Amino acid sequence: MARSGDRGDLLAAGLAPRPVRQQSASEISEDATWVGAARDGDRTAFGQLYQRYSRMVHGVLLAKVPVGEVDDLVQDVFMRALRRLSTLRETGSFGAWLTAIARNVANDYHRRSVPEDPLTDGASENEIMGGMSRADHDEPAAAVLHAVMSLPDAYRETLILRLVEGMSGPEIAARTGMTHGSVRVNLHRGMEQLRAKLSPEPSRNVPKQEKSSHGHGER
Amino acid sequence: MDTGNDRTENGPPTKSADYLWDGSGEPDPEIQRLEALLGKFRQDRAAPVFPEMVGYRRWRFFPWRMRLFPALATTAVALAAIIVVTFLVYGGKPTPTTEAGWDVSRVEGTPRIGRNVISGQEGTSRLGIGQVLETDRQSRASLQADDIGQIKVDPSTRLRLLNMGSGLKRIALDRGTIHTYIWAPPGQFVVDTPSAITVDLGCAYTLQVDDSGAGMVRTSLGWVGFKLNGHESFIPAGAACATRPKVGPGTPYFEDASARFRAASTRLDFEDSTPQQRAGDLAIVLGEARKRDALTLWHLLARADEGQRVLIYDRLRQLAPPPAGVTKEGILRLDQPMLDLWWNELGFDDISVWRHWERSWAGTAAPVREK
Repeated sequence: MARSGDRGDLLAAGLAPRPVRQQSASEISEDATWVGAARDGDRTAFGQLYQRYSRMVHGVLLAKVPVGEVDDLVQDVFMRALRRLSTLRETGSFGAWLTAIARNVANDYHRRSVPEDPLTDGASENEIMGGMSRADHDEPAAAVLHAVMSLPDAYRETLILRLVEGMSGPEIAARTGMTHGSVRVNLHRGMEQLRAKLSPEPSRNVPKQEKSSHGHGER
Repeated sequence: MDTGNDRTENGPPTKSADYLWDGSGEPDPEIQRLEALLGKFRQDRAAPVFPEMVGYRRWRFFPWRMRLFPALATTAVALAAIIVVTFLVYGGKPTPTTEAGWDVSRVEGTPRIGRNVISGQEGTSRLGIGQVLETDRQSRASLQADDIGQIKVDPSTRLRLLNMGSGLKRIALDRGTIHTYIWAPPGQFVVDTPSAITVDLGCAYTLQVDDSGAGMVRTSLGWVGFKLNGHESFIPAGAACATRPKVGPGTPYFEDASARFRAASTRLDFEDSTPQQRAGDLAIVLGEARKRDALTLWHLLARADEGQRVLIYDRLRQLAPPPAGVTKEGILRLDQPMLDLWWNELGFDDISVWRHWERSWAGTAAPVREK
């Protein structure tokens, strides 16, 4: 492609591409410091990483396993991360690395379980709520969660981080390593599909179901 | 167009989109209701007590202990050396290495690293820099590197590990099929094929190379960059792109586009057609294009001659109006910043990731040929 034009003009006009990452340099630096300290045996530093990333891990798992299993698996994820911390070379990528571990733990859960299918379109409300006591089982909330769980993978995970864990779009991008644009697309399209599913007239405005793998940049 | 950018047509982001994005702007009552309902599932458990860890620094005491027990240390080292040498000479297993590399697991059959078969109950080994992994028609393997990602290797595949340095993770796929799921930062994982290099921009994708060196990438998450000979293609989730030796990557297309659209696009990319045939194929592509096929039309701009470019511009403008700062004249002369601005409006992802990669990899973007 041709390479002409003055990028400086675009910057001056405020038209340059948006920044991709929302994680601040200081957060990345803090992560690297905490990872380094945790590798040296500092439990407090690892606790800091837990505080920063546990909601993200919880959301990633909630998008894939029954509600009642999530808390224990969050602990499994952090224990696995702790054991493998020495293998992480890009300490600034801790979030993306941890996200991958969380997804692997969810996959392992399904490999150990019967049936093996992850919680997607076919999962019943009871399967999604599995492990929760009846007292905890809030019918309207369960129905909404069930609708979220029927969305394609990437939309489901991003919406859960936003609507359940209360993370903002920039925060989701920073914690998971997804790009700013991917999170924005997943939120927008996921919300659009969720609104259609929750619409009182199911035949109206229901978008065609996309393949579960669609969506942007799960990382 | 549903760009996913939460923008109204030619307008600013909507208020509810702002609220969905970062909680700013006018609250959307429906989103607030969903937040209230779903908030009960939020993570609220206190941090567990993590076990005491053995930090790396403790190993600094090791030499000190060695000095206290020199005879024991010498004996231990000698024994270890004997075991290692015996294993290397008689073990018949792939050379173990603690150097940078990918952990390889046998999934099925008898994949090989060099001449060494990965077999047995454990069925694991390590692919080091410069080594070749091959699967026959009955074999499959899986590669994992904790800070890069996972690669599943299909039967009849040959790949080589070229580099694992910091910020540079590169393999070559000579033939066959791999399925990658990469969590390294965008732009760090690169796969060379005989007809293009594939750059991970935050994604999962399948890459195939046939015996002629022609390739095909299909993206399932995020997006992929494909580059050779000054041709570059960006392939978002749900799209595919072919590449041919000496030509480079073709025009990406969504796999749910019409068959006529895809066939005409392929002919435009790779066939030595007459001007009349090219005009006919372009008419098919422009006529059949849906809003999301702006992906294909944007790429065609740089591949068409000036006369065709005007037609493509006009159709693309109908499907996805260009943002402020993008002019027809600029696009017709292939002004890169304007093309990039327009791309960012299409809602696939931010092209600055790719531009950053291009700058940092300048001069190294040619496929590495096997010696």
